[in-house]
Amino acid sequence: MDVVILFSMVIGLLLIGVPIAVSLGLSSMIFLLAYSDTSLASIAQSLYQAMAGHYTLLAIPFFILASSFMSTGGVAKRIIRFSIACVGHLRGGLAIAGVFACMLFAALSGSSPATVVAIGSIVIVAMKQAGYTKEFAAGVICNAGTLGILIPPSIVMVVYASATDVSVGRMFLAGVIPGILAGLMLMITIYIFARIRNMPAGEWAGWGEIGASFRDAAWGLLLIVIIMVGIYGIPGLTGAIFTPTEAAAVAAVYAFIVATFIYRDMGPLAGKDGAANTSLLRKPYVLVTALFHRDTRDTLFDAGKLTIMLMFIIANALILKQVLTGEQIPQSIANSMLDAGFGPIMFLIIVNVILLIGGQFMEPSGLIVIVAPLVFPIAIQLGIDPIHLGIIMVVNMEIGMITPPVGLNLFVTSGVAGMPMMSVVRAALPFLAVLFVFLIMVTYIPALSTFLPTLMMGPEIIIK
Amino acid sequence: MSSQRYTPKSMFGRVVNEIEETAIAVLLGLMTIVTFINVLLRYGFNSSFIWGLEVTLILFAWLVLFGISYAFKVTAHLGVDAVTNLLPSRLRRIAALISAVVCIIYAVLLLKGAWDYWAPFAALQPTTGRWFPTGIAEGVRDRAFYITDQVPMLGIFRWLEDAINYGDEYEKLPRVVPYAMLPFACALILFRILQATWELIIGKRDSLIVSHEAEDAVEDVAAMNREG
Repeated sequence: MDVVILFSMVIGLLLIGVPIAVSLGLSSMIFLLAYSDTSLASIAQSLYQAMAGHYTLLAIPFFILASSFMSTGGVAKRIIRFSIACVGHLRGGLAIAGVFACMLFAALSGSSPATVVAIGSIVIVAMKQAGYTKEFAAGVICNAGTLGILIPPSIVMVVYASATDVSVGRMFLAGVIPGILAGLMLMITIYIFARIRNMPAGEWAGWGEIGASFRDAAWGLLLIVIIMVGIYGIPGLTGAIFTPTEAAAVAAVYAFIVATFIYRDMGPLAGKDGAANTSLLRKPYVLVTALFHRDTRDTLFDAGKLTIMLMFIIANALILKQVLTGEQIPQSIANSMLDAGFGPIMFLIIVNVILLIGGQFMEPSGLIVIVAPLVFPIAIQLGIDPIHLGIIMVVNMEIGMITPPVGLNLFVTSGVAGMPMMSVVRAALPFLAVLFVFLIMVTYIPALSTFLPTLMMGPEIIIK
Repeated sequence: MSSQRYTPKSMFGRVVNEIEETAIAVLLGLMTIVTFINVLLRYGFNSSFIWGLEVTLILFAWLVLFGISYAFKVTAHLGVDAVTNLLPSRLRRIAALISAVVCIIYAVLLLKGAWDYWAPFAALQPTTGRWFPTGIAEGVRDRAFYITDQVPMLGIFRWLEDAINYGDEYEKLPRVVPYAMLPFACALILFRILQATWELIIGKRDSLIVSHEAEDAVEDVAAMNREG
């Protein structure tokens, strides 16, 4: 009963416009003060330890920073050029290239809105010029952008791993096959649409263009290699080189070097107002000054701000988690579900419904921190693989991002494309259906998520 | 990069804003550099700074705690505005004021908690009272001798030895230093929320939340589209 009050309070506060973090934090504080002997001092300590005591969460600021350096327009442009060179000549090629570019960019950044902004701001305009309708363009990018949280590295996966103590490395690997599959499904759908409606196809620019654009984009794409090789090592040759957190920090430094010294889209070597970029050889001293350049500071600040917004929510959600575990709520729900005779399939349907509804109202990482500890112990008792559960949750978050009323990607796309919210919703609908089919596949075919981690890292040991 | 930055009108406001933004950038930059150097040292030279991880985690906590107040100032905290947007403007204003009061209660409780937690580490007394401070406690055990696990003692904090540790030498940095961010940040949070509430009352802002994390970036693109 108390729990009902707790959750009604959280939801009530959310709906009147209290910041998510404060809604979670204040409700749990009141609950703890009224029903337990926890003091305010220990709540303050939890808030501090949310950062200082969670090594896994430390990966979040670094991944955000790497993606901030990579989001400076130039990387997105190069990836799009490469994508168009590869698939642009197919019917509906530009749209398919848009999906492909979103997949590649998703592998550089851990966030969906960032993917929509970076790719969408270029591709939607280009598609309009090539003769696609604006609605179609927005629908494609809005959906493909959600892959940002499924294709590793992904901030939401780091949060899930941290909330449930599964390995970040496994989660990242588990996202690879579903991520590629979802991308392919979207591409095939677009191709079928394009055949039926006879959409424009681009020119085949030849293998030379593929090679040239790949060489140009390679510096950016190498970031994925650094992260993946860093976390997993080179198969057969080395073991893991970094922890995921270290890989994220190395990726951030690498992204800084690429953006400032190689692509020179930002920092002291960037040409201002259309002027050509300066060569490093002519100004070698910038190796030092670049660290203090205004652009560097601004990028660090942007990444810092996003980290703060997310971590404030996560830290308060961790206090709520403390309430839930303290009251043994997951266990009692688990028992009542088992007593009622629910099997794994019924359970997964319930999880899907909860997350689909929750995902529309809340920021994904905050929702994961709250829901994961609730459903995780139940899932383990029912014999569901923790990694599989994590991927299901992430795919649910993706769909939550593109369903009204509060789909994050819908907002972002409507802003980027300059379209009213409702027309983006209508535009996204056909592809939303594709993602739903995908969700059902991911839910009932565990091997999609667990095959790769088991292959690379050995079978998982589950401690009940 | 994003151009839709918060720019205060007064000179003083701009200076403060610059300090806050630079502090956020520097904290994140230091975290990255320390972690990166430690990786390099481990693989290049088979050694590392043993304090690297602990310092990074402290900086992480500082970054977030300090930044919360900044995010309140520039209205960057995420919230749900789907319902409040449907309300007529009068009701929306009332909802915003209620949520401001909720935030104030949160900040006051947190500030008390932060002080109570930090005070013993600084050889000070916490407050009494369960919900709100009712007075100063007496005889709570001093925790000033607690030191961090690995962070070396810095010269500029030597005065703490005489001030709170009965003249005993600290071998490592005492915990009072990293934890000091808690009461400081919580006081700032309360201040920024009060400020935001005042701006709500005089009509300078209409809510405490944004609905999604990319609002700035989207604004930029929208501005670009209008120009182009």
